[in-house]
Amino acid sequence: MPTATNYYMLVASLPRMPRTFEVEQVPISRLRLQQRLEMLNEEDTTTVQQMQEFLLWDRQHPDRTDTEVLQEYEQLMQRVRNVLARKIIVYRMDVRTITCGLRRRRLGMDPPSGVGQWVQAIRENWEHPDFRLARQHPWIPLVRGYMEAHQPLQTERQLLLAIWNQWTRLADRYYFSFETILLYLARWEIVDRWTRLNESLGRQHFESLLTEALGEHARFPQ
Amino acid sequence: MSVENFLILGLGWAGIFLPTALGAIGSIVGCARAGQAACGALLDVESGYGRLVGASALPSSQTIYGIVVTMQLNRQVSVEASPGLFALGVLVGLALLCSAVLQGSCVASAINASKSKPEVFGLAIAPAAIVEGFAVFAFIFGLIISGGIPGTLAG
Repeated sequence: MPTATNYYMLVASLPRMPRTFEVEQVPISRLRLQQRLEMLNEEDTTTVQQMQEFLLWDRQHPDRTDTEVLQEYEQLMQRVRNVLARKIIVYRMDVRTITCGLRRRRLGMDPPSGVGQWVQAIRENWEHPDFRLARQHPWIPLVRGYMEAHQPLQTERQLLLAIWNQWTRLADRYYFSFETILLYLARWEIVDRWTRLNESLGRQHFESLLTEALGEHARFPQ
Repeated sequence: MSVENFLILGLGWAGIFLPTALGAIGSIVGCARAGQAACGALLDVESGYGRLVGASALPSSQTIYGIVVTMQLNRQVSVEASPGLFALGVLVGLALLCSAVLQGSCVASAINASKSKPEVFGLAIAPAAIVEGFAVFAFIFGLIISGGIPGTLAG
């Protein structure tokens, strides 16, 4: 007989998620978070692992072909049973597909062969600035604007904000349940990603300032 | 004694104990929920442990109300008294059960909200106190109504 997860204890043991993802550090370290997730039962752990694997897609195997991504996505969707986990994956994939479309069009390429419910709409409305999807995805005009202005950080910020807002809206519906945990993890990934992005930009900025101030002396002996 | 009378008397006896039984079930679930949330919060806070664990005991009052109503209903069980005993016992018991379970959820939310903002603890616990108020209404009016049930009080 499968053991039941004590959601009351697990939810209460997680630090409060900040109101915005633009913070200096994650509310809980990855290691500590994984330790807390050990309170989940086997079934929940499997779902969480499947979702976490998907959320890490953005950082892995940049050389994967569209066909490989499509296969992996279909396999993943066959395995994931939880309704909210599926919803999270589908929305995240939609955002990826639309963003991919915007980027490919800017580079003068063909429509993406990506996955998700909007692929056909993107192909049919390839010439339209927002693929006629601005009603369903109000973030598209803003992201397109930042892309055209060559502002990669703002583009990334706007994309993360769109996803963050979606998860925050959903999180308001759940209190002490597995869904609360899934949405916490989905938002934690966004905060983690943003803080890493900020850290990397900060390091670059620091190095450029150092070089500017010290010139050749900024280079440490090997 | 006919089967009908046997059943009626059985329901009467059940009615006497139902406020305690249902109130206790509610308290068990409510205290467990709130207690689990308190235990989780202990992992995330550095101080104020006693307050968190203390708050998780709030849903236990419904059992006490149930015991008092049971004592008030405890009388000579007769065919005339049994319908009243059963109706009152089951309704007061259900009210106590629901209030204890949901008060446990309110306390769990209060604990969760106040662990990162300890200053809101007093305000966060207010919904639990409001739920307690409804349990008190059911308890008081249960006692008042029980006065109209025929039969002499036991003990």
